[in-house]
Amino acid sequence: MIAKFVRITIFIALLVMAWLPLQAQDAVEIVIWHMEQPPQRVERVQGLIDEFNAANPGIVVSQDVQSWGDIYTKAPASVVAGNAPDILFAIPDFTPIIRELGAVQAVDDFVAEIDETHGYFDVGIEPYTSDGHVWAIPLWNMAHAIWYNIDDFAEAGIEEPATWDEWASAAEALTGDGRYGIGVPANRNLYTDQVVYNFMINAGASDIYNDDGSLRFNNEHTVRALDFYGMLSQFSPPDSPSWAWGEAEVCLGSGTCAMVNQFAFLRSYEANGGDPANLGVMAMPVDAGVEDPGTISYVNAAMILTDDAAKQEAAYEFLRFIFQPDNYGLFLNMEPGLFLPITESGFESETYWSDPLVVKYREQLETVLDYSRSGRLFGFTGGQTFPSIARISAQNLLSQVGQLVVVDGMGAADAVAEGEYLMMEAIE
Amino acid sequence: MSDSKRNLAIRYGLVFVVMFVIIAPFYWIYSSSLKESSEIVAQAPSLVPQSITLDHYANLLSSSDYPIYLTNSVVVSVATMAITVVLSTSAAYGLYRLPFPGRKTLYRLILLAYIFPGSLLLIPLYVMLSNLKLLDSQVALIVVNVTFAAPFSVWLLKAFFASIPFELEEASALDGANWLQTLLLIVVPLASPGVASVAIFAFITSWTEYMFASVLIVSDANRTLPVGLAGIIGQYVIDWGLLLAGAGATTLPIILLFVLIGRFFVRGLLEGGVKA
Repeated sequence: MIAKFVRITIFIALLVMAWLPLQAQDAVEIVIWHMEQPPQRVERVQGLIDEFNAANPGIVVSQDVQSWGDIYTKAPASVVAGNAPDILFAIPDFTPIIRELGAVQAVDDFVAEIDETHGYFDVGIEPYTSDGHVWAIPLWNMAHAIWYNIDDFAEAGIEEPATWDEWASAAEALTGDGRYGIGVPANRNLYTDQVVYNFMINAGASDIYNDDGSLRFNNEHTVRALDFYGMLSQFSPPDSPSWAWGEAEVCLGSGTCAMVNQFAFLRSYEANGGDPANLGVMAMPVDAGVEDPGTISYVNAAMILTDDAAKQEAAYEFLRFIFQPDNYGLFLNMEPGLFLPITESGFESETYWSDPLVVKYREQLETVLDYSRSGRLFGFTGGQTFPSIARISAQNLLSQVGQLVVVDGMGAADAVAEGEYLMMEAIE
Repeated sequence: MSDSKRNLAIRYGLVFVVMFVIIAPFYWIYSSSLKESSEIVAQAPSLVPQSITLDHYANLLSSSDYPIYLTNSVVVSVATMAITVVLSTSAAYGLYRLPFPGRKTLYRLILLAYIFPGSLLLIPLYVMLSNLKLLDSQVALIVVNVTFAAPFSVWLLKAFFASIPFELEEASALDGANWLQTLLLIVVPLASPGVASVAIFAFITSWTEYMFASVLIVSDANRTLPVGLAGIIGQYVIDWGLLLAGAGATTLPIILLFVLIGRFFVRGLLEGGVKA
């Protein structure tokens, strides 16, 4: 009896031992680090991961959620320590930092495949292209626009301004009785960077670099942008110099501001009791003579860090799954409105347009989507990418120039000259 | 009004101003966390909530990993507190009560560990803990927190240990007590305000520590409250109600701790200041 028990035990043990290596060999584990921390985003991504894992027994994908505030320290440290994730989400000025460590894989072929299958919009790939390669897989776009209270405009008899002169008049007319025409931030942070750059784009100063990589920040168009920025700040709430995105959104939602420059903030606008019929959105007005207006946009992407061929293929398989239109719509709507499609097939996705919040704010979203096609980002224009932009961006130097004008009262020309000097110091 | 009444009025006035400065932010956080979202962002802020709701707290508990963050924070903070108290008390006793060569140099050197900015040590510590397979673990945070809390704690205890007469130790030795018994039964009870101060200091340092917790912890399951809370707020789209509920629920344990044993901390700091 005992001998029989021992034989069966040995047999089972041998079976398990034979099975385990097969499992270890077959199951490719993929770790994703992304920075989409709010609970509903984590839950949505997990739902898609669970679905993928169930359909692909040979691949096990897992997510570890990080924060944008720490990732600039944590990701390089993880690369140095040899425990970097396989897929790391990115924005354009984050990619050069990881690339400098030699940890990012070129993804030209896979991006070409997605482009062929799903049709990337033009703004998608350029921010991640440099040295003849594409370094990350564009996932979604985010674009600023001018959001306004429709009732305030109607009450003051104002139409959507198209030029800077009309815009200044509108801001002035909408200021009074504890209300302000527009929110102009001047904090030294990424939000002010974005708003300042938006003014630069629409003053004809999109390019910070010349073709040879030298700076061309200090030019008459940038000065014009900052001069107008400072002028508009007189119609802005007194606390606006300390704003980030959230404060701008509250200023509009509470009716204190008639206009703010922001990403789409549908979920919180709705949660705060906002009225869809009162939420207007438009392109930023343009300075006279500017032929290529647009908006600041952030194409978010996924970098592949693993150099293991099997893991790379598994990562691509997961991303193919994400780009399938139905999945992609769900993926984008982890934050409805904020994350915009970057592919043609995603734009037509049924699941994207059927989200209740998207249905409710469809009109506004269509305007933003259309406007996002003219998106661009400082340091990633003109068909070239200069990695040193990461250092300019990391120090929030654009916002510092805005702060010099709005808070310190410096003339625009002097502030821009100071800004170029600071940029040169940063990139040397 | 007589001089004494005027002085009393001024004193009460000053106390009121100080109390207002201290209490007002807490009142604002807790009262706003009970308001409807629309009231939180209303153009004219309401001093007293017009609409009471617990939705934000319910949302905090249901949609975020707040209970996990809270548990992790409690584990890390209590462990940090316990280890810091044991280490710093033993070290302080050795440094300030037992004669050995180089004692004075050593207790000055010990503060050197405190003068290094934590950010300088971030990457080396990350790599070191990664090599030790301690990354993404509560042990890593406890080690780091104790490392930063212990030197100051040893220094804080100096005044308390110095004020205890050596005759008491000599008497306990005559009664047959060894050094450990002397430490535990004579010295520590007499220095209890200092030990309590060290315990609270270590707990609060650990409870509020953000930088190392954000970088050394990778997975949500091991995250502590400050980092977890920062995560659920969001960057571009902020849920103000959730933010306020999170802030309220995060500060509540510290407030309770101070209500219960805060007087030891204050006494400890005051005595530490005058006895040195």
